[in-house]
Order: sequence, then C-alpha cells, then structure tokens
Amino acid sequence: MRFPDLSLRTAENPPCWSRGALTALFVACGLWWLAVFQAEAARGEEATPDFNRDIRPILSHNCVACHGPDEHDRQAGLRLDDPAAAAAELESGLRAIVPGAPQSSEMIVRIREQDPDLVMPPPESHHVLDEAQKQLLERWIAAGAPYAPHWAYVAPKAWPTPAAIDRAWPRSWIDAFVLDRLKREQLAPADDADPTTLVRRLHLDLTGLPPTPAELDAFLADSTADRVERRVDALLASPRHAERLASWWLDLVRYADTVGYHGDQTHNASPYRDWVIHAFLENVPFDRFTLLQLAGDLVEPAEGEHPDDRVLASAYNRLLQTSHEGGIQVKEYRAIYQADRVRNISEVWLGATLGCAQCHDHKYDPLTSRDFYAMGAFFADIDDERHMGNAGFGGGTNTLPTTRLPERAILGPFDRAEAERLDREIAELTKRLSAEPAAGDQATGNEPEPAAVVAAREQSARLTKQRESLTRAVMITEQLKTPREVRLLPRGNWMDETGEAVEPAVLSVLGSLNVDGRASREDLARWLTEPVAEGGIGELTARVVVNRLWALFFGEGLCRSTDDFGGQGEPPDHPELLDRLALELVASGWDLRSLIRQIVTSRSYLQSSEASAELLARDPDNRLLARQGRWRLPAEHVRDAALFAGGLLVEELGGPSVRPYQPAGYYQHLNFPKRTYAADTDEQQWRRGLYVHWQRMFLHPQLAAFDAPTREECTARRLPSNTPTQALVLLNDPTFVEAARGLAARAMRASTADDDRLSLLWRQAVSREPDATERAVLRELLARRREEAAANPEAARARCWELGWRRRMRRWSRMSSQPGRPWPAVCSTCTRPSPAINSPPHTSRTRSRS
Amino acid sequence: MISPTPLHRRCFLGQAGLSLGAASLGGLLARDGLAALDLPAAARGAIWPLHHPPQAKAVIFLCLAGGPSHLETFDNKPTLARLDGQPMPESVTAGQPIAQLQGKELVVLGPRKPFSRYGECGAEISDYLPRLGGFADRLAIVRSMVTEQINHDPAHTFLNCGTAISGRPSMGAWVTYGLGSEADDLPGFVVMTSKMGRNPQPIAARQWHSGFLPGQFQGVEFATSGSPVNYVASPPGVSEAHQRDVIDTVAALERHRLATVADPEIATRIRQYELAFRMQMSVPELADLSDETAETLACYGAEPGRATIGTNCLMARRLVERGVRFVHLYHSDWDHHGGIEPYMDEICPPTDRAAAALLADLEERGLLEETLVVIGGEFGRTPMAQSKDKGAGRDHHIKGFSMALAGGGIRGGVTHGETDEFGYHAVTDIVHVRDLHATMLHLLGIDHTRFQRGLPRPRRQAHRRGASPRGDAAAGVGLVIRDLVKPT
Repeated sequence: MRFPDLSLRTAENPPCWSRGALTALFVACGLWWLAVFQAEAARGEEATPDFNRDIRPILSHNCVACHGPDEHDRQAGLRLDDPAAAAAELESGLRAIVPGAPQSSEMIVRIREQDPDLVMPPPESHHVLDEAQKQLLERWIAAGAPYAPHWAYVAPKAWPTPAAIDRAWPRSWIDAFVLDRLKREQLAPADDADPTTLVRRLHLDLTGLPPTPAELDAFLADSTADRVERRVDALLASPRHAERLASWWLDLVRYADTVGYHGDQTHNASPYRDWVIHAFLENVPFDRFTLLQLAGDLVEPAEGEHPDDRVLASAYNRLLQTSHEGGIQVKEYRAIYQADRVRNISEVWLGATLGCAQCHDHKYDPLTSRDFYAMGAFFADIDDERHMGNAGFGGGTNTLPTTRLPERAILGPFDRAEAERLDREIAELTKRLSAEPAAGDQATGNEPEPAAVVAAREQSARLTKQRESLTRAVMITEQLKTPREVRLLPRGNWMDETGEAVEPAVLSVLGSLNVDGRASREDLARWLTEPVAEGGIGELTARVVVNRLWALFFGEGLCRSTDDFGGQGEPPDHPELLDRLALELVASGWDLRSLIRQIVTSRSYLQSSEASAELLARDPDNRLLARQGRWRLPAEHVRDAALFAGGLLVEELGGPSVRPYQPAGYYQHLNFPKRTYAADTDEQQWRRGLYVHWQRMFLHPQLAAFDAPTREECTARRLPSNTPTQALVLLNDPTFVEAARGLAARAMRASTADDDRLSLLWRQAVSREPDATERAVLRELLARRREEAAANPEAARARCWELGWRRRMRRWSRMSSQPGRPWPAVCSTCTRPSPAINSPPHTSRTRSRS
Repeated sequence: MISPTPLHRRCFLGQAGLSLGAASLGGLLARDGLAALDLPAAARGAIWPLHHPPQAKAVIFLCLAGGPSHLETFDNKPTLARLDGQPMPESVTAGQPIAQLQGKELVVLGPRKPFSRYGECGAEISDYLPRLGGFADRLAIVRSMVTEQINHDPAHTFLNCGTAISGRPSMGAWVTYGLGSEADDLPGFVVMTSKMGRNPQPIAARQWHSGFLPGQFQGVEFATSGSPVNYVASPPGVSEAHQRDVIDTVAALERHRLATVADPEIATRIRQYELAFRMQMSVPELADLSDETAETLACYGAEPGRATIGTNCLMARRLVERGVRFVHLYHSDWDHHGGIEPYMDEICPPTDRAAAALLADLEERGLLEETLVVIGGEFGRTPMAQSKDKGAGRDHHIKGFSMALAGGGIRGGVTHGETDEFGYHAVTDIVHVRDLHATMLHLLGIDHTRFQRGLPRPRRQAHRRGASPRGDAAAGVGLVIRDLVKPT
C-alpha cells in the first residue's frame, strides 16, 4: 500500500498512476479498515459517554447558565458543573444526580417531565434537549455520572504515537495521529497535492506571497527527495515569513496605529510592530517573547539580545484602546483599560474568555469575578494615565501623533545597522573637521574655508539629519512606584467602591503563584510559560499557541474555537495530536520555527484539498483531515499578491506605517483634529499590507473589505466573507488597477508573442499555465480589445494613460503604444478570479503547454 | 448565472462557517416584490420563519449625534424654569457620574424654549420642533431613556451595539443578518452622515460594524457628494461596456473553475461580481435626485450633491423604497456644552423640517406602516448649566433622556415614561437602551430572547467568538416596551 513518493512527481513527469487506480486503492483501504474496526465501533456504541466529548457540551449549552459557577445567579442551589455539588441534596431535599440511578435523579425526571411548569430546560429558555441528548444523560448517570476536568485545564499528556497501519504514508509522528483518526473513521487520506499546487501553497502559507515563475520552475525541476524540506527551510528563514507571522500576532495583541476611541489620533506604536517581525526573524523562543512583552521593563537583557528589545517589546502593555475625550472620568477609564488588558491577556495566552467575569462570575467556566480583578491587578503598576490628566483634560493632545507618555525615541530593530553606519561616518567627519585648523581665523580672519571642509560640514549635517530621522517614538512600559489600588467592582460598576481590594493572582482554577510579596507581571509571564512540573502552566499555554499555528496552515485549528478553550468553545477534534504538539513546543524550548517546520512538512499538510462528493458530504468541515483546507487569502495578502504579480511590491522591512491610495473623504468623520489623508506618493505606496496605517475607527477600506480586523480587540480568527464590496475593490481600487498595469508591462517586456504573454500572466497570478479553456477565454478578451483599440485608437491610448494614474512610470509607457493597449484589461482579468486570491489553489486537471 | 437554490444555501452554510450571508445573498439577487410584510422567500435571513408576524420590515434610525437636549425637545420641566440660575439640589446629583462638569458649581438652567401641546394626544413638544409636533398623533415619545455610557464614543457604541466593548455587531448588522435584505442591487444596511458647520464629534465605523458576524452584514457608507460608495466608480477611462466585459470574462473563468472544483465560494464570488456591477449601475441612479420634484426637495430641505440632513432623509426614503433593510442616518453637531440656544436655533429647523418631511413622504407612499423610524441620540443633556463661549450650554447626561419613534408598529400618540421634576433621573417606566433594541427587534418579527438560540451550528459558530451571550444588542437582555407597540 505504498503511495507514490512526492519527490517523483513533477510537471514533466506526471504521476504514473491513474485516478481510477487510486480510487480503487482507497476503496480497498476502506474495506480493510472497515473489517478491522467494525468490532470496535460496535463496542463503542454501548460505551459510557465521554464526559468532555458528550456530556459537557449538553450541560454547558443548556443548563449551567442557571445551574453553574455563577453563585449570584444560581437557581435552586443546583450546580451541575461540579460533581459533588451536582450529587448533593438540594434545597428541595432532592438530588439532581444520583450516580448509577437515573430514575432517582431529579435531573432525568425533570428533563423527561411533560408539564411545562416543571420541565427542564424551561420553555422560556428556548433550549430543547432532543431524545439522543436525554438518552446520553441517562446512560451517563447510569454509568455513575463520571465527571472529568475540562480538557483545557488538564495538562497535555504525552500520548504514544499510534502505530501506523500504512507505514508509507506518514512522514512524521503528526501523520500517525491523523492517520489513526482516519482509520477509526474508515477514511483514507487524500493523495498529495501536485507539486505546482504544493509550492504555491507553501509560499503563500509561509510568506503570504506566491512563488515567482522562477521559484516555481526550480521546485518542479528539483527531483531530490528532500526538496520540500529545503524549500520550507529557505522560506522559514526569510523575512517574508517573519512578516507573515507578525500579521498573525498583531491581530492577537490588537496592534494598531491609532488610539481607537473618540479622536482616534495616531499613537506611536510602529517600532513595536518591527520588533515583532524581528523577533520572528530571529526565532526568539516564545517564552522569552512572552516575557519581554509583558514585563520587558522588569527584566535584564538576555545574552545576545539588544538592550532596546525589551523596551520595544514592552509596548505590548500600551496597545489597548485609549481616550482623552473631554469629560472622561479617570476612575471609569481606569476600569475600562484594566478590562481591556484582562480580556487581551486571557484571550491571547489562555484562550479564555475571562472578560465575561468583569460583571459576574463566568456563566460557563470556573472563572470568578475575583479572578478577573486579580488578573487586572498585575497591570496596576503600568504608568499610562498621564494622557487623561486629572479630570479628563490635559495630558493627551489632539495632535498627530498624540502623546501617550511614557514614550521613548528609539531605533527600530531594522534601523540599527543603518544607524551604526551613519554614526561611524558622522564620527569620522567630525574627527576630520576638528583636526582641520580653523584656517580662516589664523590668517586674515575672513578667508573662506577650503571647499573640502565646507563639503564635509554639509555632509555631516545631512547625515546627522538622516540619522535623526531613523529614530521613532514608541509608547513603552514604565513601572509606577506605587501600583494603583485594584478593587473588585460589584457588577463591574466603577462607581461602586464597596468591593474588596485584590492583589495580583492567577486564575484560581489553575493554581496559584508561589512568590513572596506582591506578584509581578514578570511572575505572570513566567507562570504562563513555565512547565506544569515547575508550577507554571506552560503546556496549557502551548496548546493555545500551537492550535492557532495549526490554523494558519490548515485553515482551522485542531480545536475549532481558537479563541475560546472554555465550555462554550468546542472540544478539539484531535485532542491527542494537540497535546503532543503542545509538549513538542515546550520541549523544543518554545521554538516556533521548528514546530511550524514539522507541521508543513507533514504528509497531512501536503495533501490535496480536493474531495470527493462522498467525503464532502461525510465531513463538510474537514474535521477529520482527510484532505487539506481551502480558503481565501487574508486581506493583506490579497493586496501583496497583486502587487507582487505586477512587479510593484516594495519589500523593505519595518519603518513607519505606509499610506496606500484611499477613497477621498474616507476619514471625514474623524475629528480632533480633522484628518485629510495624504496617500504616499513614492514607492512606499507599494509596501506590504502589514505596514498599512492601521486606523482603528476607519481601517483602510481594502483591508476592511477583506475581513481584516479593526484590532480594537484580540482577533484569534478572521471570519471570512465573500461580498460585492470585495469585487468592487478588486475592480476599481487604484492599487489593483496599477498592479494589473504593472503585470501588463511585465508581460510586454517578456515577449512579443500573445501566447507567451498569456502564460506569463497566468504564471505570475496563479502560479501555473492557463489551461486550454482559460487561454481561450483570455484570447477572446484580447481580440475584443484589439478590435476596439483599432476602431478607436485615441480613446484606448487615453485609457492606458489614465489607468496608470502615475504618469511618471516610464516603464509603462509602452502600453499606450498601439499593440500594448489591450493588455491592461487582460491583466486586470487575470488577477481577479478565485485562483488568484485563494490559498491553496487547485491546478486545473487538464494541463496544457502551448 | 447560477440561480440561488435551497441546495446552494445548504452548501454555503455547510462550509465550515464560510459565507454565512449566503442566505441573505439570495435576497440580494432576487426581489420578489414588496408584498405587504410578507417577506419573499429569497429575502430571508438567519431567522426563518420569523418568531412572530412583523409589524415593520425596514428601519430608519435618525441618530442626532452628540446628545440632543431632552429638555429642549421632548421633556418639558417647568421646575427648571422656576429654578433657572439657582444651585442644583445636591440630593439629585450626589454620587452621580458627571462628565465635563466634574468639580464645577452645579447651577440649574431652565428650558431655552417654550413647549406646546400637539395633536389629539396633546403631547408636549418643544417649539424647536413644530413640524414634528404636527405628527404628534403618530409619534411615540419616550421620556425615560437611560444609557450606561457618558462619553460620546462609548455611548454611541452602546446605543448601536448594546455594549461599550468593541467588536460586537451593530443593530443594523443584526437586523440584516436576522431578516436578510430585499434590495437586489444595493446593500441591506446603509449608513449616511451629515453635519452642520460646527466642530462635530467624531464617529467610528464601529457604529455600523458587523462585529463577529460576517462582513456582508456591515453597514455600507453612502456619500451624497463625490463617489457615493467607496470603489463604486470604474477606473478613469473604463466605460460601462469595458467593465461589463472584464466582469463577464472573470465570470467565465470562475465558471470554468467551478466546473473543476465544486467550491460554493466560487459560485458566491461570481454572484458578488454581478452584484458589484449592478451596484455600479444602480448607486448613481439612486443618488441622482433629478427625478424628485422641486416641491419634494424643498419639503425636505434637500440639496442635491450636499450632505445635509434634508438630502439624507430623502435618500433614506429612496433606499427604503428599494428594499434596503436598515438605514442609519447620522446627523452630527448636537453636543451643546455651550451656546445651546444659538446652536439649537441653527440645527433644529433643518432637522425638524427633514424629519417631518420624511414621515409625511413615507406616509404618502404607504411606507410608514412598514418602516420603523427612530429619532434620538446617544444620551441627553444635564439640567445643569455649563458655561462656555456663546452662553450657557448643557453637559452630557445619561440618567434620563428622550427619543421619538414612529411608523412600523409604533402606537402613535403615546408619551411613555417620565423623569423627575428636574429632568435628571428617569423615574417611571424606565427604558434602557437594550429595551429599545428589544422593542425594535420585536417590531421586526424577532423575539430578542431567541435571536441567538437554536440557530444552525455554523451560524452559532459565527457569532460565538467568545462573546458573552448577554453583552450585545441582540443578546436577549432588554424588555419589549409593549406600551410603544400598536396592538395587532
């Protein structure tokens, strides 16, 4: 049952087996597995329901809002999320659960009740249990009502790698877990994606940019066994990969360029964004990455770490939405800021919705209001209220940027080398100038300086100015001498001062910190990443992180609710694999790159995303991983890929945020101060989407249309939409029009033959040759446009100019010549269909080379 | 083109939570006429069948942004006139949240304009709003509104999203999601803004965001001048025929693709291109007011090409006529910390004229019956004076303020609730912002307590996002204010 080796499959040397043969193979596999596991499946039907998989979701969705952890809102004194409480005698003298005796359990009596006044859940709740759910509960109680701790609060286990039935398919232990599950489901994995698809997928997933035709050809021509690994290693080491990961992280920590409330003024944050990219480029271990962000101001630089890094990283604590709207009350905003931080840290590192506990104990998870405020207390030492002034005035300014003290003028990580070079040159010039005798004074007193000295002086002034422009201000974390007092706010009411004062503490359900005195942000950061055996929750945090990384490469996490590991989330589809990945990350010293490498070189990742109708019907959401996923590119990459294909993308690392074209008047509702948007007029216009100025109140409309988040809150998963606005952007946004024009210029430079040009266009945009139909469709469009240009040459010429917007782009001038005129339209067609904006794409089955 | 069949709908919804708006897309493409309150099958949203027969099927929310004074509009307080210039009794203000008057001396400011009684119901309405007064018997006035946020930005977010926390859907998004849209070439949720000459408070796109619902439910901003919708104009020099040609070619490539890979997202994308093209054609037609009579323009105070309250109210009628579900009009400049008198003199007449014209026009066209019109701001203003340039003004106030409702299912001639004699605290029949949401949803045929329950799984996933199930506009917390609802 050996599957053909991926490395043997190239465009020139297509796989030797036919589709029919493969299908037969799958069928054979399926039958064999069916036979082996029929018996097991039969036994499973009578097995005790699994609490986490079968029972917890029923209780969580239907019961615990009223019979759960929130003691202030608990009905009948009944708590169903806790085994002892659930089996205890109630106020009524009855017991909800009598383990082993469903008939005596009041819970069963009530869910079977016909009287609408007595039945549970009550009709007004609009929750209804179906027969299967009722039976599950009965069987569970009959089996003794065994509870199990919620999966996300249990440390990951080192599950043994399943023995592979098919030894050839797995490339790694990851595949053994995937295959084991497929085997139990009597499914076979998909065959590998063809190499053309695969290389595009790898490039897009790891870097956000498609391969160039040359990179594509090199991969296809490579017949070595480890070509995937080598390509992956090259991509992982590239700055583009660091940029891709940075987009992911910036969504989580809600990085943006503006304050987010009221005047939505610009604040100084971009050096933090550059630090994140740099950290991914340097593959800084995730535990260190965490520590620097939460407590950069409290720790010493590590060996080999630039002393500024911890300062830059500490901007994390300042990324929240802030306001200095006139008339704000400091106490109210203190509560708002605290809640913002608690929501973010708990979502980013814990996958927990602790924000719910601001006003009440969590309705579904064992998180208390006290937990919420104790978590907030960790951040009570952060100096960040100066912009609010004493009574809501002063401090912050209605300027661009506004002030959010404390700030520091600092060099971004990518500007350090340039700064050093400039410093050296300036020092040299200064030395030379000081060695030069003050010639004029010694002689007549008004003799002009030698030309060389004047030149050196001017040069020095110019370089000094250049050097100064490299430093940027960034908001930083500074510790207050005395932390603000944090009180538990009853019902979240900031005006109620009757709540008890709380000290920093971690979630009570996960234990406590063993520190002397007041626990610090450093203690919190270390607790998040230290192994369980050493008193931390590192493996639990790792599970949250690896799940999100997995989602980057499969479209969905192994646990679908990447943002919520609580009772309202979903249990993971592959819990053992998720556990092992988490342990792997911790064991590797929090090496994200190595983990990503293992994921994307797995056979599971390499699978084709094509699915048979049967598989689609059986597993529409691809929970079983019998194929790869398919999804549209993220907003930034839709932009990047178009500019890249058009040869316009300017790849520089870091720097101040950039401003692409934007519809006039888009900022008309902003005020304090009023905003006029000035798009960049130089090459900055064509930087990657990651660097686009992130205006929280009015996110750039191209990014917003393609579902980029405003970054007001943590975003662990962008919900994709498919809207007419997206079509309008692709059709009419000047950026995409220019990109199409750039692509046309590229095609015209490359060849004079129509067919060659069409091939090149398609290869740039879609990473493959057009098939016969696609070629025919494009040829027809070309012919129509030629005819029309011949009939009305002046209009066509004018259009070519206007389409470019930027007349100084000389390299495009050829398009306004007679033969060039039809091409921009053809190119604008190439960069728009699904294959150009989807990842991973499919190659067409009918391939042709003309 | 591929016709939207039930099968397709199922496909969309089965795709791991993708394309949740597919259901309403059908509605975007196939309008089956506007049979009275009987939603055509294709226009259905996430809630089908509706929980109860709807009394309204469209909403126009005229938001007077900045916080209009209830004491100069709908809430007459003779006591304030009597105590004008006297210290405000401390018993009223002690321990209350205060915005810009923090630490200042608190002095009563009497109403700046007399009130008159209007209609058979005898509703009291300020002389600032005489034309609206003429509609008293069709208006429901709520004088006991309360909100939880005292600063503009969070208060707007609260008014639209039912929470001050960012990232939750706005009412327009919820309504479009729940009901779908009946417009076949326009978005279901449209936002328009106008302002007067002063320095208005900023407004964030958060106010019409889809939050954790998919992007197709986001409000689309329409402008009255320039390009009406972002990116709706073809690139310079590209004619309608050229754009059509590009779209047809893209569609041909997509159809070919769809035949190879059965991805329903591709079918959706083909339709979106088609809809985009139709928007390119229909939006300029919509924005072109030349088919309106001079009399109509004058009635509204509409000025073609200028974003005034009059133009926008007229546009709102045109949008509703075309099947748009939710029109959100922002009229800024109601933040009168100082100079409340001159500023009200300036802003009230055009607002009064436009709002009254809108009601009259809707009524004349038989649309008022099925269109819920809500008029009000994010909060009210203090009974206490705040002095600034151009004379006295009033500070932000959240413990009692007013709103007016009319049309679809609203019981006319009702004045609901009251504030204390100072117009400070709402004291009887208090209406929380979330009660307003609940009532709006009720009129549209949605039981707010069931809105988010029992939906198919992908939809539940869509708006799960870790959000507290109570913390948004459609979370089932408020109460339906029956007093405002016309008995059926």
